[in-house]
Amino acid sequence: MIEIHEVTKKFQDKKKFITALKHVSFSVMEGQVVGLLGENGAGKTTLLRTMATLLTPTEGAITVAGYDTIKNANEVKKRIGVLFGGETGLYDRLTARENLEYFAALYGLSKHETKVRIDDLSRMFGMRDYLNRKVGGFSKGMRQKVAIARTLIHNPEIILFDEPTTGLDITSSNVFRQLVHQLKREGKTIIFSSHIMEEVTLLCDSVAMMHKGELVYHGNLESLYQSEGSRDLNYIFMSKLVRGNEHYAS
Amino acid sequence: MLLKIYLKEIKDCFRDRRTLLLTVLLPVIMMTGLTFFYEKLVSDGEEESYKLAVNEEFDREVEDIFSGFKNIELVKTANPEETLQEGKVQAALILGPNFTSDIENGEKATATIIGDSFGQKSSNLKNIVQNALGVYEKSIISERLEAKGTNRNLVEPFTIEQKEISDQNPNANLLAMLIPLILAIAIGVGSSPAASDLFAGEKEKKTMEALLITPVKRSTLLFSKWLTIATIGSVTGMITLLVVALEINLLTENLKKAVSFGDNAIVIVVLSVLVSIIYAMFTASLLMLTSIIGKTVKESQSYSTPVMMLAMFPTMILSSIGINELSFQHFAVPILNLFSLLKELVFGIIDYEHILITIASNLISMIILFIIGRILFLKDKWVMN
Repeated sequence: MIEIHEVTKKFQDKKKFITALKHVSFSVMEGQVVGLLGENGAGKTTLLRTMATLLTPTEGAITVAGYDTIKNANEVKKRIGVLFGGETGLYDRLTARENLEYFAALYGLSKHETKVRIDDLSRMFGMRDYLNRKVGGFSKGMRQKVAIARTLIHNPEIILFDEPTTGLDITSSNVFRQLVHQLKREGKTIIFSSHIMEEVTLLCDSVAMMHKGELVYHGNLESLYQSEGSRDLNYIFMSKLVRGNEHYAS
Repeated sequence: MLLKIYLKEIKDCFRDRRTLLLTVLLPVIMMTGLTFFYEKLVSDGEEESYKLAVNEEFDREVEDIFSGFKNIELVKTANPEETLQEGKVQAALILGPNFTSDIENGEKATATIIGDSFGQKSSNLKNIVQNALGVYEKSIISERLEAKGTNRNLVEPFTIEQKEISDQNPNANLLAMLIPLILAIAIGVGSSPAASDLFAGEKEKKTMEALLITPVKRSTLLFSKWLTIATIGSVTGMITLLVVALEINLLTENLKKAVSFGDNAIVIVVLSVLVSIIYAMFTASLLMLTSIIGKTVKESQSYSTPVMMLAMFPTMILSSIGINELSFQHFAVPILNLFSLLKELVFGIIDYEHILITIASNLISMIILFIIGRILFLKDKWVMN
């Protein structure tokens, strides 16, 4: 479903180059839920942005559902839904419904399809009461629900979430977790980055661990537990980072 | 798709109180203030009353010099200069100790006018007093010549007659500077918040990323956003013109006399609207670039301020140029051509060659700016923070 092949991404900062991704390669199968782990600045967001066609890899290539993210960016965009962390990317002066209708129009949905989809999503997220209210007055949890609904408005096959539960209260985080379970049941492919190991343990089939732009581990969670001799993902993650740092030091 | 994005952007912008305030209210306030200010400035001064300080022993005969000026009140005081310094009068006239008898005896008499050339009323009064004394001086010379049997033509060999090349009211020149300046500022200020919001603001709020992951072409996004900024600028421009036209027609007398276009009125109004739309489009192109370059709304607004200041230069350049001196370069340089064309229109001149040069130069500039904008908008560095 997703093939990441030797992807390197460099950013130019004044006269020097900063390497955000170094020869990252892994693949994600259809219907899998993959947790992307790493410290701040490890390259998780850059990798998600590159998969989402927002950034062009300096080297290497990514194919999503068989389409190259550079050569067939529009085909990729039609098939993915992306939610970036922190800011929810909504228009404050528009209502929740207007936000969803706008993005539905951008994805080329008909009026009927849009109405059906908004009805489904507002039922799923319990947004009916505030669907016609301007987003500017929403709480963080309400905004996050609308943002997730916007991400799913065109019913994408692949969904990328960048730290989706950061700053959310426990109720909103649970709504997100239930959503991932539901999307998994529907056969969607999901990649999400997170700092919360419990969340990753609960939701993911496999994990990809990143450190200083490099992929330090990718594989099945069960295999990881067996190879590391522990079921504590937090401990495994920390020991991987220590090993990564020793590797850099040597 | 372009229309859908455009309509959403327009809806979003007009729900912003700041945009509404700057688009509608600002031109109304600016134009009202300036219309009344200029109306007062161009009034012929007949209704203005002045106080002139003179010596207590001011001669009755000399008083007659000012008998024709009902708006000048003579204030007799022991020290006219001191009275002037105290601000009780606008000017002072100090005559020599034996002013009348010196003149009668053919001796040199003196008259000193004291005033403040930096004050409008004082300066006006000084001129009136100088002119009145000038007329009095001529009448004395005539009397002396006639008494000696000499023809007065001997000292006045010719008369000077002054004619204007344009039959327009001289106040039209003031309007020709005022209207484009206010129009340019109103368009810049009106469209600036929307411009900052549509690119830098979307980057800041991360809605730009959400937009860029949709299968909409970046050039479509760019064009629809540019169109939104241009629309808001055009609306501001049209409101400004409407307000100035209504206020001059309904609330002023002197400015109204200065802008009577006769049979060309409709054509001039249509052309003025066209010019303001073209200027709004040009400004939108510049503001689009400053907003793309800005990472935040604040940064974008810092870059857009000098763009709005550009409107000050044509006013300075054109203030010393007569309507007959306007040539190709005045219509070929964007921004300057808006001022030049509106100057012609205020003077009631419709020159289609100049209009075409203005449109063509603005279109070429807009295309260049749009190409630069597109290049920037396609680069990750400028579309994401």
